[in-house]
Amino acid sequence: MSEPLDLSTLDSALRNALSRLIITLADSKRLMGIRYSDWTLGAPSIETGVSTASMAQDEWGHARLLYAMLKGLDIDPGPVEYDRSGAEFASIAPLDHERGDWAGLVALMALADGALSTMLRSFAVGRVELAQNRVPKMLAEEEYHASLGSAWYRRLAETEGEARDLLTSASEEMLPALLAWVGADDASARAMVDAGVIDPAEDRLAAFRNAVRDLVSLVGINVDAVHAATDWDEARGRTGGRPDEEACERARGDRNRALLVE
Amino acid sequence: MKEFVYDVFTRKERGDRLQHVGYVDAFDDETAKIYAWTTYSEEKWFEMCVVKRTNVLPVNRTDGLFVEAQRTADV
Repeated sequence: MSEPLDLSTLDSALRNALSRLIITLADSKRLMGIRYSDWTLGAPSIETGVSTASMAQDEWGHARLLYAMLKGLDIDPGPVEYDRSGAEFASIAPLDHERGDWAGLVALMALADGALSTMLRSFAVGRVELAQNRVPKMLAEEEYHASLGSAWYRRLAETEGEARDLLTSASEEMLPALLAWVGADDASARAMVDAGVIDPAEDRLAAFRNAVRDLVSLVGINVDAVHAATDWDEARGRTGGRPDEEACERARGDRNRALLVE
Repeated sequence: MKEFVYDVFTRKERGDRLQHVGYVDAFDDETAKIYAWTTYSEEKWFEMCVVKRTNVLPVNRTDGLFVEAQRTADV
């Protein structure tokens, strides 16, 4: 593992790039948790519902750890977690809306959660010591999510009819935004690559494509032929759009604020 | 979608007896492991295993859950 970066000496461009990465990861984890929790009481079986509840807890735990990394950049995570408008959220686009069918959630589990793990793996072997220390445990927990996502993806892909069609359309919809995010190569991403924070864009993209290639081929998608979305928002580090307002309220815990005892 | 019963066994500490703590329904071994781990997560287990119920061979009984599982598997 490379020599850790001294976060107190980063120039403003690299500092902003690193905070953007951390916030995108943290926001995505929080939204991922919400999307899993949406299915806790509607999953195909009790066991699957329990698993989505467990994964929601994992994601919220990961989000909390990621937001806390901002302290290493002298950024107070409180306002970031609780005071931002939905338009400022940086979570990846496939998490913007509730998935109305189980196939959509399976695609999220296998592809969007997989993209998050690809980026976290890259972050964990980079030069940010906080990531070196905290991310490996997240990735160990994510192995369960990946296994469940992969098992369900294969299962639905083997069927004929509506479930397979829904899985295919959800995958086709998500992949361009995920490829744009994982393969981001703008000035901020390049600053992080140059500083050894994450791997080069082509390596991250190759890792993600390798992780999902066999799965998505089951529904007739060639991930190597899918183009990244072009509506990249450099400020937020994601493609266009924003999460729905209800999810943002839940992510911020707006309704719980009245219960907060200072 | 065909599902199977998997029995779940755990031990809390090294050297403890492996105990039967329950079961899950799953469509394959991989999902059974995940369902077991997430469903029976009330303890920090030293070890957890799942066994597909159809792989448990009854020795002295001609009725009960395991015999029933064998009968279902034969169908």
